[in-house]
Amino acid sequence: MAEKIVFDRAKNREERLWFVRYWANYIRTHSDKEWSEQQASLINSQLQNS
Amino acid sequence: MEFVGENRIKTDKVINDLDKFVLKFIRILEKHAQYVIVSGYVSIFFGRSRATEDVDVIVKRMGKKPFSELYSGLVNEGFWCLNAEKPNDVFEYLEHNAVRFAEKGKVIPNMEFKFAKAESDFESLKNPMAAETSIGLLMLGNIELQIAFKRAVLCSDKDMEDAVHLEEIFKGRLNNYKIRDYEEWLKK
Repeated sequence: MAEKIVFDRAKNREERLWFVRYWANYIRTHSDKEWSEQQASLINSQLQNS
Repeated sequence: MEFVGENRIKTDKVINDLDKFVLKFIRILEKHAQYVIVSGYVSIFFGRSRATEDVDVIVKRMGKKPFSELYSGLVNEGFWCLNAEKPNDVFEYLEHNAVRFAEKGKVIPNMEFKFAKAESDFESLKNPMAAETSIGLLMLGNIELQIAFKRAVLCSDKDMEDAVHLEEIFKGRLNNYKIRDYEEWLKK
């Protein structure tokens, strides 16, 4: 029998904030080219598929 | 990113399609009016891993004639206004609302254009951060006010994440007393 889906909003928020900090630290410790190529790939694909 | 002045940075970031759209619009707008870009795009410019459908730009109020000239410039360069077609109608709409401009044939992304009205709008115009990119200059809302506005006024999960992102990126360069003062001021 399938488990009931339980969504823990507070935990999800905490995990998202962890990633925000992780990514910001990546930006601070890598060159503009390194992080912005990844960001451009994400943003360009989102805009092209909109 | 490198600080080249107290309120000026230079970046070698790869210019994405959203940046290109914003810079194209701003190259026209800056010929006609003082402006500052605020809210989500500021976080995205500094690396947030998300896109947005609209970019908020606050513009110093201008008269009907200069606005018509700006409007013609935008239309000639391939933009259209989603709210109204005639420049006079758009100008009247702007008295109480924001209007949106997109590239012809598209709806998103768009520039959400409003005249400065609130005190926080004037504060943003007065103290912008200049950002030099490989294809031009952008005037962005100062970071302390962006963080405070997101925390004290907007408050959604997305805005709180944007605020954390900016705090982390500008760690060691932010005036935390200024952020607190802005938050108290905005809550009044």
